[in-house]
Amino acid sequence: MNFYIKYLIIAVGLFAFSGFFALFGVYAERKVSAFIQDRLGPTETGKFGLLQTIADVIKLLIKESIIPAAADKLLFMLAPAIIFIAVYMGFAAIPWAPGIAPSNLNLGLYYIFAILSVETLGILMAGWGSNNKYSILGAMRSAAQIISYEIPAGFAIIAVIMIAQTMNLQTISAQQGILSSEKASFLGIWDVSHQGGILAWNIFRAPHLIIAFVIYFIASLAESNRAPFDIPEAESELVAGFHTEFTGMRFAFVFLAEYSMMFLVSMVAVILFLGAWNTPLPNIGSVHLADWTTGAAWGIFWTVLKVLALVGVQMWIRWTLPRLRVDQLMNLCWKVLTPLAFACMLVSGIWRLWVM
Amino acid sequence: MTMVKALFYLMGFITLASALFVAASKNLVRSVFMFFVTLLSLAGLYVLALADFVAITQIVIYVGGILVLVLFAFMLSGKETLANLQQQNDRFISISKLPALLLAVLFFIVMVNILFKTDINNLQWVNKAVSYKIDIKPDSPMTSNIGTNLMTTYLLPFEAISILLMMALVGAAHLSRKEKNG
Repeated sequence: MNFYIKYLIIAVGLFAFSGFFALFGVYAERKVSAFIQDRLGPTETGKFGLLQTIADVIKLLIKESIIPAAADKLLFMLAPAIIFIAVYMGFAAIPWAPGIAPSNLNLGLYYIFAILSVETLGILMAGWGSNNKYSILGAMRSAAQIISYEIPAGFAIIAVIMIAQTMNLQTISAQQGILSSEKASFLGIWDVSHQGGILAWNIFRAPHLIIAFVIYFIASLAESNRAPFDIPEAESELVAGFHTEFTGMRFAFVFLAEYSMMFLVSMVAVILFLGAWNTPLPNIGSVHLADWTTGAAWGIFWTVLKVLALVGVQMWIRWTLPRLRVDQLMNLCWKVLTPLAFACMLVSGIWRLWVM
Repeated sequence: MTMVKALFYLMGFITLASALFVAASKNLVRSVFMFFVTLLSLAGLYVLALADFVAITQIVIYVGGILVLVLFAFMLSGKETLANLQQQNDRFISISKLPALLLAVLFFIVMVNILFKTDINNLQWVNKAVSYKIDIKPDSPMTSNIGTNLMTTYLLPFEAISILLMMALVGAAHLSRKEKNG
């Protein structure tokens, strides 16, 4: 029985975490956008406006939830739940620290890739269920974009799998630091198995993975429908895209899914390329910085720090770059990112065979 | 009843019930979304059969690819076309349903036949695998096994399939291309 209670607590904990993250993600986004546009952002509610998003959530909870008369009621009501659950289930396979992962799956990476594609279905469901032209257009744009960008993202991931030789996320994490059971070498020449730190991260073990990381990061922006790839919810043309008709709690779930998705894709990027829960500090001579800063609590700290840094970059990009037109979007995906990702995969094979 | 057995019956029931709904429902879009439930519970059954790689591949290809394409076709086709498709006559047996009925009955006969002919607890190929010690345990690495087999024993079928897919891709590219002087 303890077994089930443990997993129940973990599941509830992850849910609470994603809610908490969405709350402060929205607050951070407002403050970042305000800073970039030389405004102040929320200031009134609480100290520095810290309670603003909590007030917003209370507003959303007590709003009337309207179902349009012409909507397909069942699909309309289920869609936000499916969109959120698809993202939430992705968290099940993600490692947080050495030995700490909700589920240590052999196929963890593939599982996350698969479960995230369910989100597309939820978005199409929302678009169709709303029975509204803007929603359908938004949903179709979103699905087309997500399916296209899954290809470069998938090949960037395969480039990492070929280097790591496993799809178990916990093993991939362990390979990039001092806890590695195999030899790790910086740029393929300098054995850093005992130094660890930033030198043993995947992007430095095999330098072409820096390109793969950039490809994955761009594709992950598109998959979470963030600017500059936000034509699915382009306000100036589509009102709000697939979530035009949603109000109250349902809208909150769509929002929760978007912020959890940002966290999840950044977390996958951190695990695959930026050393997962490993410390960036290497052992230097008798100063064993890496040994001192490795462990369960440190692991969670480094993961969260790195992920928050990536989420920060996502926000920075959103408020800096203008939105891409749809043909530019497809050109970028098919003519730039996909060939580059294929090249990365090829280099990975050569690197694994002759350099490592 | 053990947990695994209970899960098997639960997922078997969901698969069958949702598949029945897919076939019987008059609302085409809803039946497509219900097909998603069928595929998901089928993936669960694959996991119970120790084929986790197949289960996840099924979700990637069918849910992420094929279902989304089907929905695209619906969304691009408009309400009138859909209404025409949804008109069915209510008689249970009619001449237009004959081929489907024939196929279903024949397939059912084959399945029942197999069920009665095999001795499930004493399968020959399972016994052979156990005696050679190459049977798959719940914790054995599945992916590397599949990869090794694809690149050795089943290389020819694998390459044949990749050529077939290549042909389909070239065909699709040709169809969607704009003719310059056509």
